Amino acid sequence: MTETNKKEVIICRCEDVSEVEIKQAIEEGFTTINAIKKRLRTGMGLCQGRTCQKLVARIIAQETGKSMEEILLPTTRPPVRPIIMGAFEGEDQ
Amino acid sequence: MNKVELAVIGAGPAGLAAAIEAAQLGVKVVVFDENAQPGGQLFKQIHKFFGSREHRAGTRGFRIGQELLAQTEELGVKVNLGSTVFGLDKRNLWVLKEGKTEVYQADAVIVAAGASENALAFPGSTLPGVMTAGAAQTFINLHRVLPGKKVLMVGSGNVGLIVSYQLMQAGAEVVGLVEAAPSIGGYGVHAAKIKRAGVPLFLGHTIAEAIGEHQVESAVLTKLNESFQPIPGSEITLEVDTICIAVGLTPMMELARMAGAELKYVPKLGGHVPVNNDNMETSITGMFVAGDVCGVEEASSAMEEGRLAGVTAAEYLKHIAGKAAADRKALIREQLSAIRNGTFGNKEHLKDKVKEENTLGLRFSGTPSKDELDSCPGVPSEGRLAKGPVAVIECVQEIPCNPCEQVCPKGAIKVGKPITSLPQLTENACNGCASCVTACPGLAIVTVDRTYDENKALVTFPYEYLPLPETGATVHAVNRQGERICYGQVVKVRNNKKADGTVAISLAVPEEYAMEVRSMAKGGTK
Ligand SMILES: Cc1cc2nc3c(=O)[nH]c(=O)nc-3n(C[C@H](O)[C@H](O)[C@H](O)COP(=O)(O)OP(=O)(O)OC[C@H]3O[C@@H](n4cnc5c(N)ncnc54)[C@H](O)[C@@H]3O)c2cc1C
Ligand code: SF4
Ligand code: SF4
Ligand code: FES
Repeated sequence: MTETNKKEVIICRCEDVSEVEIKQAIEEGFTTINAIKKRLRTGMGLCQGRTCQKLVARIIAQETGKSMEEILLPTTRPPVRPIIMGAFEGEDQ
Repeated sequence: MNKVELAVIGAGPAGLAAAIEAAQLGVKVVVFDENAQPGGQLFKQIHKFFGSREHRAGTRGFRIGQELLAQTEELGVKVNLGSTVFGLDKRNLWVLKEGKTEVYQADAVIVAAGASENALAFPGSTLPGVMTAGAAQTFINLHRVLPGKKVLMVGSGNVGLIVSYQLMQAGAEVVGLVEAAPSIGGYGVHAAKIKRAGVPLFLGHTIAEAIGEHQVESAVLTKLNESFQPIPGSEITLEVDTICIAVGLTPMMELARMAGAELKYVPKLGGHVPVNNDNMETSITGMFVAGDVCGVEEASSAMEEGRLAGVTAAEYLKHIAGKAAADRKALIREQLSAIRNGTFGNKEHLKDKVKEENTLGLRFSGTPSKDELDSCPGVPSEGRLAKGPVAVIECVQEIPCNPCEQVCPKGAIKVGKPITSLPQLTENACNGCASCVTACPGLAIVTVDRTYDENKALVTFPYEYLPLPETGATVHAVNRQGERICYGQVVKVRNNKKADGTVAISLAVPEEYAMEVRSMAKGGTK
C-alpha cells in the first residue's frame, strides 16, 4: 500500500467513494453535486446523501472556487429518506 | 386518502409546541414523526436547560418533552410515530408507516423536521468508534450503554460540550476536546464544567487521522495556522477508543424544498433554510415552518417558533382571527426576541483571531479570567466574604438564563430584562443558603464561607457525578482548571429532590484556597 492509499479519506461511506476519486471527477469536469453523483454514485446510498452531501460540496468549493450556496441544492426527488422498495405500491393494494 | 386539518411533520419541541398551540385553538391536528419515540432531540437531553422560567429553564430536557407529550394527549392530538414523511407537495403528505405508504391530504402543514448532524471526513473516519456526538448521546442517555471508555470530542459548540459532560457522567473519560477555531463555540458555563473535570481543550487544532486496525485505537491531532491549514510537525497522538464528531447541524429542509418552498442560504443558520416571515409562513400558502428546520438554534426558541406557527396555522384555518390572533402572536414574538437577544451566534467565534492579548478568559480557556471575575456583578466583595457565607456567581457571559434570580428566597439575585443580562448579587441580602447553587443549569454558582473555622473555609459547589462522596470523607479539591490543589473534607452532601439530581457538596478546605476550590475530583476520595 502506498502512502497516499493508506491516508485515503472516504467521503461517501454508503457508496465507498474517496476524496481522491471526487477530486479526479472534478478535474474531469464533473463540477456539480449532481454530476458527481452520476459519475460516482455519491449521495445515492442508504443515507441518501445526508452524510456526504455537505462534504462533497466542500470539496467542489475548494477545487473550483464556487460558493457553497451555489453548489448545494441539486434537485432531489422523492424519497427524502431511505425507504424499502415496493413501499410505493402500498397504496394500490 | 386520509384528510386532516393540520399536519405537523416532526414531534420535536417545535412540532409538539405547534400542535399544542393549534389544538388549544380548536384545530384538529395530526403529528408525524419517523422515530419510535416523540420528543425529537429533547429526550436525549438529560441536562438542565437555560432560558427563563416560562421556558422551563433549569428543567432537564427530557422532562420538558414529557410535559409537552402530556399536553398533546390531553388535547387529543394524534401523534403518529414510526411514520416517515417522504413526500410533500402543497397539501399532500406521503407517509411511510410499517412498510406501507399512506397519503394524507391536509388543509395546512407545519414542517418541524429539525436538523441533521454534519459529518467530518479524515483518514480513518470510517473506522468503528468514530460517531456523531448525537449517536453517542443516544447510546448513553437512551440505551444506557457506554460507546467507549476513552473519548475524543471534536467540536466545542454546545453539543460537543454537553455531550462531553454527559459522557463523563456516564463513566467515560474524555481525553480531550478539539476545536479548529481559536475560541470555544458554545456557552462558557458548559465549557467551565468540563474544564473543572480536567478535560484538556485543544483550541486551534483539528483531527488529522484516526488510527486503528479494526477500530479506533488512537487519534492524531494537528495544530492549525490562522488560515486553518495544518502546521506540519505539530501532531499530537492521543490514545482513544471513541471519536465523537460535533461539528454543527444542517436544517432538514428537503421536504419544504420538495414542496416548492423558496429557500435561502444562511451559513449562520446551518445552510439552506425555507424563507419565512415572522408569522413562520413559507412562500407556500398554508405551509409553515418552525424549529431547527428553519435555522439551527435551541429548544427554547424552537418551542416559541412552534407556538407561533401553531397560531398562524389556526388563523389560516379560521379558528382565531383579528386582534385575538395578533395579540397572541405579539406575546410569543416578545418571548422569542428575549431569548435571542444575547444568543451569540455559534459561528461568531470563528472570527476571533489568535492574538496574545485575548487568549485569556472563558471563551479561550474554559475558565473565567481574573479580570472577568473581578468585573463580574455576581462576585461579592472581599469585605462581604469576610463576614460569612455568601454566593459567588461566576457567570460572566451574556446567555439567556435566569433560574438563579427566580430561586433566591432573599431576592438577592437580579437578572432582570433582557434575560441575557449578567446576574447581579446584592451581597448584603444574601445569607449563603445555597439554593441558587443547585438551581443554576450552568453550575456557575458556589457559596463560600470564609468564617467557617479559624483556618478553614467552607465551599459549597454543585456536583452531578456518581458515586457521591460520604460525609466526613477526605477528597481531592479541584480548582476551575480541574487541578487537584488541596484536600477537602466533606462536611455536607445535600441531595434535594427539587434540585433534580444536582447535589450540593460542602467541602472544608484550607482558608487560602477558598477562592480557588470550585469542585472535587470525580470519585476523588483520598
Ligand atoms: C446535544 C444537544 C444539546 C442541546 N442542548 C440544548 C440546551 O441546553 N438548550 C436548548 O434550548 N436547546 C438545546 N439543544 C437544541 C435543541 O435540542 C434543538 O434545537 C431542538 O430540539 C430543535 O427542535 P426541533 O423540534 O426543531 O427539532 P428536533 O428536536 O430535531 O425534532 C425534529 C423531529 O422531526 C422528525 N422528522 C424529521 N424529518 C422527518 C420526516 N421526514 N418524517 C417524519 N419525521 C421527521 C425527527 O424524527 C425529529 O423527531 C441541544 C441539542 C443537542 C443535539
Ligand atoms: S445563596 Fe441563597 S440567599 Fe444567597 S443568592 Fe443564593 S439563593 Fe440567594
Ligand atoms: S448564574 Fe444564573 S444566569 Fe448564570 S447560568 Fe446560572 S442560573 Fe443562568
Ligand atoms: S454517505 Fe453518501 S450516500 Fe450515504
